[in-house]
Parts: sequence; structure tokens; C-alpha cells
Amino acid sequence: MIEILSFLLAYFVFPGLLFAGALGLLFMGIDRKVTAHMQHRIGPPIWQEFLDFGKLLGKEDITPAAAQGVVFTLAPLIALGAAVTVILLLPINSAQPALTSVADLIVIIYLLNIPAICIMLGGYSSACPFGAIGASRYVVQLFSYELIFIVTALTAAVKVGSLSLGSIVTYQVQNGWLAFKAPLAAAAMIVAAQGKLLRVPFDIPEAESEIVHGPLTEYSGPKLGLMRLAYGIELFAVAGLITALFFGGPVAHTVAGVQIPGVVSFLIKTFAIVLLTTNIRNIAARLRIDQAMKFFWTIIALLAIVNLIIVVL
Amino acid sequence: MKAEQVVQLIKDYVKDVKVTNERRVTAITDKQHYRGALSALKANDILHLSTITGVDLGEEIAVIYHIDCGGPLLNLKLFLPKKAPSLLSVTDIFPGAVLYERDLMEMLGVDVENHPDPRRLFLPEDWPEDNYPLRKEAKK
Amino acid sequence: MSFVVPIGPQHPALEEPEHFRIEVKGEEIVDVDIRFGYVHRGIEEALSKRTYMHGLFLAQRVCGICPVSHSLTFLRAVEEIAGIECPDRARYIRTIGAELERIHSHLLFAGIAAHEIGFTTLFMLFWRDRELVLDLKEMLWGNRIHSSETTIGGVRWDIKPNQVPKVLHNLVALEKEVKHYIDVVASDRTILARCANIGVLTKQMARELCAVGPVARASGVNWDIRRDDPYAAYSEVPFKVITERDGDVLAKILVRLREILESIRIIRHALDAMPGGPIRAEFKGHVQEGEATGRIEANRGELLYYVLSKGGEKPERVRIRTPTYANMPTVKPMLVGGTIAEVPIVLASIDPCFSCTDRITVVDRGTGKAQVMTKAELRGLSK
Repeated sequence: MIEILSFLLAYFVFPGLLFAGALGLLFMGIDRKVTAHMQHRIGPPIWQEFLDFGKLLGKEDITPAAAQGVVFTLAPLIALGAAVTVILLLPINSAQPALTSVADLIVIIYLLNIPAICIMLGGYSSACPFGAIGASRYVVQLFSYELIFIVTALTAAVKVGSLSLGSIVTYQVQNGWLAFKAPLAAAAMIVAAQGKLLRVPFDIPEAESEIVHGPLTEYSGPKLGLMRLAYGIELFAVAGLITALFFGGPVAHTVAGVQIPGVVSFLIKTFAIVLLTTNIRNIAARLRIDQAMKFFWTIIALLAIVNLIIVVL
Repeated sequence: MKAEQVVQLIKDYVKDVKVTNERRVTAITDKQHYRGALSALKANDILHLSTITGVDLGEEIAVIYHIDCGGPLLNLKLFLPKKAPSLLSVTDIFPGAVLYERDLMEMLGVDVENHPDPRRLFLPEDWPEDNYPLRKEAKK
Repeated sequence: MSFVVPIGPQHPALEEPEHFRIEVKGEEIVDVDIRFGYVHRGIEEALSKRTYMHGLFLAQRVCGICPVSHSLTFLRAVEEIAGIECPDRARYIRTIGAELERIHSHLLFAGIAAHEIGFTTLFMLFWRDRELVLDLKEMLWGNRIHSSETTIGGVRWDIKPNQVPKVLHNLVALEKEVKHYIDVVASDRTILARCANIGVLTKQMARELCAVGPVARASGVNWDIRRDDPYAAYSEVPFKVITERDGDVLAKILVRLREILESIRIIRHALDAMPGGPIRAEFKGHVQEGEATGRIEANRGELLYYVLSKGGEKPERVRIRTPTYANMPTVKPMLVGGTIAEVPIVLASIDPCFSCTDRITVVDRGTGKAQVMTKAELRGLSK
């Protein structure tokens, strides 16, 4: 009984839906603010995403008549569910995540693909040419970054000798950050994350000046709100995964006599990675899908594979 | 190119040439000779047709080809009877004329023969067939 | 199997409504068809029902980015028929007005182009610097864009000596930024990836299809009406005509950015060399019989007005041919063979102004009812 309750608490409150949702939206808001200042303007307040989410929930829920209603409606829900589940598998509070399983790294990689697939399904099922084009571009992009993502994650796992995130964090406590031991992999993973999170230069599937809003064109109201929330949580999850794999995870530090709890250090590092992606997205133009693919399959793949080989040998 | 040189090039195809100033030449031609004038210009590397203007003058429709001759602007005019205004397309000489001729067709009802793409340009599809907005009768 | 992608009439890539029917096989473009007419407002017709002065205000409103160009061209034709000589000082002030407009228009274009390739930061920065120019226009003439400083016979307001330092100051700041942007555009890898060798228009095609303005100059056509058929004070002000060779999107962007630097030089020279004297010649309201063709190098290229007068206070016929109209046929060869991803940037690279293109015809949507309404409106408005 207690277990069920504690699971529900973990899923919906901390570190689940409420916590991750709030932080995800907050990170998105700060990203917008930083972007604005980099563009020499003021930008919206950092809680703008919360306001947007609330507003969207209050709007009429419309499904286009020609769309596949069931798929269209379920896509955001499943995306949200998957993203929150990933949060539960991340070591946020301490080296042990809220949920553990034997090979949780594999489960996480698998689950992190679900929001992407849901967006694609949403695009295809929306009966809109922009949706279809956006979804098909997303499929191509998935082939670009996903392998890199997997290879780099596995590099960390091979180095440590375990697929469990808890062990990876513990290893880093004793031996220092994996980012110093496998820097190429860390760099490659950050670039792959830029693609996974659909941020410039890799936001082709959602390229608004070309195909309106890509797969999400026909989404509006509460469904759009849920998609955006799922995106915020995915942002937090991916950055959090990178933090856990390469930057030490939730390790308590003592700085100048002040004890910083693990969770705070985790949040700070995750936030730093988000800011890094924000920086990249503001200083580049968007690449075409074929250019993005070429980029990933040559340079980035090289970095990732070289590092994997070094680590194996 | 100077205005005088332009006049020399087209003198066989036009009557009534006026050189208003060093950069404006107006010449009147007719249906038999206008293509000759245009071809003569093209043969001398004059490729830029600025536009084609149509004017409803009551009994006649004036068609003016405005051609940039590398300095002077030539206004080559011809007059068509309003009852049967037709002429041949010049897109084989000046490919850039393609849109201006469509414009002339739909606004003034001039029948441009051999035009590669005689669709409407600005008017919507459901605009009535014989209504030519820039003709005087169109304004009741 | 080809698939048709509709772009427009409402689309985030287009500032104004147009319809492009693009046929694709996969991502490759096979054919392009353009339909416009969505913002036609009956201006040519309306101009023949209004007095010249009233028509001047209407002509300025053909376009929301180049009102000064339209006024200058209309006036070039009208003043020629009426035999009015614009005083020297007014000619210089008109030049300054035209060049300020060129700068603001090119910066607007550059921002839009950056936005089309997803480089929002650059878009914001271009438009931030555009404010430097708009502030000047507001200081000199009271309005940021529709400044209405030109009038029949000259200009309305003089440039006072105490306004000159601010103009020079803003120009210095602008020049520094634009030089930096030229470096960025020519060297940034992502910009080059999206703009180099895209939407190429060969010099041959440009000449055959009668392309105008920066689009033609980017393909190597060395032609600028300011030099070849001068007006205002251009025959007395030295400047370079900027051309590029490659004819791709990158060339079109660079031509416009470099033209901004030339415009800055022209304004400085004009401010320096401006003679004293009156700023307006008299115009009594009626124009004798005659016809004239006025043309200028507007921001987007050759703008042409043909005016026919049968004597009196209103023109008999006004024909407007705008630069975007002239450049329309070049869109197809630029797009065919490319991919959909290139469509927004290639379209943006001709700096389209559809308000300018669509301005001829009587009424908006053809039903008998609309016709009557508009006719009544026009009657009510014209004297």
C-alpha cells in the first residue's frame, strides 16, 4: 500500500509531473528570456510558459474533422506519460532514482523516443500537408541524431561497466566526471540533444517559416498545452540525462562551508546544459534536413564512435 | 546608347519619331511593323522591356512598349481599333513580356495571339468574361 | 508521383498574401505557378479619378515600404508633362529621402531573409539597427515610413542645420554595424549553407526575363537607373553600382547590404553639397496635355509610371509597373530544381512587395454588387 502511494507521489509530485513540469516550463521561460537578451530585446517574463499553459488549457478542444481522432488525441497524452516516466528513472535526489530497473539506461533511451514518435504520429494523423511534411522530416532527423545519442550513452555505460544510472553516478563520485574521461562523447551527446530537442540549427521538423508549425500545426487548446508541457519535461529529462551520465549527477558538494544538497547541484548542472543549448540556438541559422543529416553522420558520428572505441580498448 | 542611335535602329519600322530629351524617345508604329522594330532592337543587345502599357482612348486602344535602351527609354506606340484589338505576342523576342501581356489581355481585352500562358493574372477566377476593368465602358 | 504544396495566400513565410502552387516530387521542386491579385485595390483606376495632388498621396500608399519611391516616380512623370523644374535644394533633399528609404528597406529585407532561414537573432539585430534610420525619418519629416516629404514641385520641409549632426551620428553607427553584418553573412557557416548556390539566376536569364534592381545586379547585370537615367540629384553625387557574379541568394543579400553602405555615402555627400535656395516650385493644379514616362531606381529595382494627360486637373491614365512585378517571372527558374526548404528564402531574396504588384484593377472580388459599391465609393471620394 505504502509502495503504491509512494509511487503515485513520486509520479505525480516529486520528482514527477508537478516537479518536472514546473521546472521544465521554468527552464523554457528562462530560455526565452536569455534568447531575448541575446537579441537585444526584453522578452517575456520567465513564468510566461506557465501562463501560456494555463491559457491553452482553457481553450476549446478542437480536432480537425479529417484527422484520425483517436491517434490525434492520444499522442500528447502518451508523450507526456513517457516523459514523466523518464524523470522517475533519473537520479535527481540521490544516486538512486525513484524507480530502478536492471538496465534503466536502455529503458530511458527507449522512452525518450516516445515523445518524438508521438509528435510524428500527431503530424501524420492531423490530415494537414504541413503536418505530414513536418512528420516526415522528423523521421529523417530521428535517423540522424538517435544513433549518436545511443552510442554516446553506451560509451558512458561501457566506461563504467554498468547500464544502471545509479552505478554511473556512483562511479563518477569516486572517479570524477565522465565528461573529462570521454569528452568527445559528451560533446557529441550535447549536439545530438540539440537535434533531439528540435532546437536550431536542427529545428527543421518544426521550421515555422517554411511549414507553419510542422507536425503540431493542427494542434490547439489543451492538446497543444499538453504537448508543450511534454516538451518542457523532455527538455528537463534530456538535460538531466546528460548531467547524470557525464557531469556527475546529483552529488552533494560543499562550497565555502555551505552544504549544497545533491538535488540542487543536479538542477544547477541541468540548467547549465539547457543554457548551452540556448546559446547554440541563438547563434546559428537553421540547416536543411539533408545538411543536418550529413552533419550528424559525418562529424558527430565520428566523434561518438572514436570515443566509444577509445573507451572499449 | 544614345537617343539618336535608337532612332536610327528603328527608323524603318516607325513613323513620327519624337526625341523629347536625350533620354526619352517616343515613336509611333503599327501592327505590321512593331515586331520588326522590336527585333531590330534585340539584335543590338537591347533586351530590357520595362513594361507594356495599354490605354483606352475611346475608339482605339493604344499599346505602348517601354524599352530601356541602356540610357534612353523608348516608348513604342501602336494603335488598335477597339472593335477588334489584337496583336501577336512578343514573348519570343522579349521573354520578359509574358506577364505584361496577360495584364493587357485581362484589363483591356486585347487579344494577344500565341501567348504561351493566356490565363488571368490579377483578376479572380469568377470575374465575368467580357468585363475589362480598364476600359472606359467598364466604368458605367 | 508529384505532390502539390500550397504556399499562401496565408503563410508565415509571406508578409503579404500570394499564392504559389509548387509541384514537388519528394523534396525537389518540379514546377511553380504564381497567382497574385489578392491585394489589388484599383489604384490605377483610382488615380485617373483624382487630382494630381490627391493622386500623389494615393501613389505613396501603393506600398508600405517604398512610398518615397512611388512619389518620386509619379512626380518625375507629372513634372515632366507640366514643365515644372524642381529647385536644386529640393532635388538634394529628395535624394536624401530616397536613400534613407533604400537603407530602411534593405535592412527590413535582410531581417526577413534572416528570419526565413531560422536565424532569429540576426533578424532582431537588423531590425534594431533599422530603428536608427526610422528615427532619422521621424526627426526630419514627422513620420517613420510614409513621410510624404515630396510634393509636386519640390519638397515640403527643409532640412535644418541643427538636424544634420544627428543624421551624421546615426549614419556612423549604422555604417559600423552594416560592415560587421557583411562580414557575418559572408562567413557564417550556417548562413552559407542555406544561401550559397541557392536560387541561382544566371546573368543570361536575368537579362532575358527583364529582371530589375538588386536581383539583376546580383546576377552581374550592371544597370542602375540612378546612374543610367539620373533623376533628383544623382547626376551630381558620386556612387558605385554594386554587382555580384553568382546570382544566388547570398549574392542578393550582399548586394543589398553593400548598397546600404553606398547610400550612406550618398547621404553624406548630399548633406555636404546641398545648395541653398527655395525648396518648392509652384504648381497651380492643372497640367497641360502630354504624356511622360517616369522611372527611378526604387529599393527593389526599376519603378515605372506612365502618365497621360489630356489637359486638366486629373490624369487621363496612369500606368504603374513595380519592380516586384518585373521580377516575378524570375521566381520559377530560381525555384525549379531546388527543394521546398529553399522556397521561403528564395522568395524572400527577390524582396517581394505584393502590395506594389497587385495594385491594378477596379475592384477587389468580382461580383456585381462589389462593383457598384466601389464605384459609389470612388464617386464619393473624387471631387
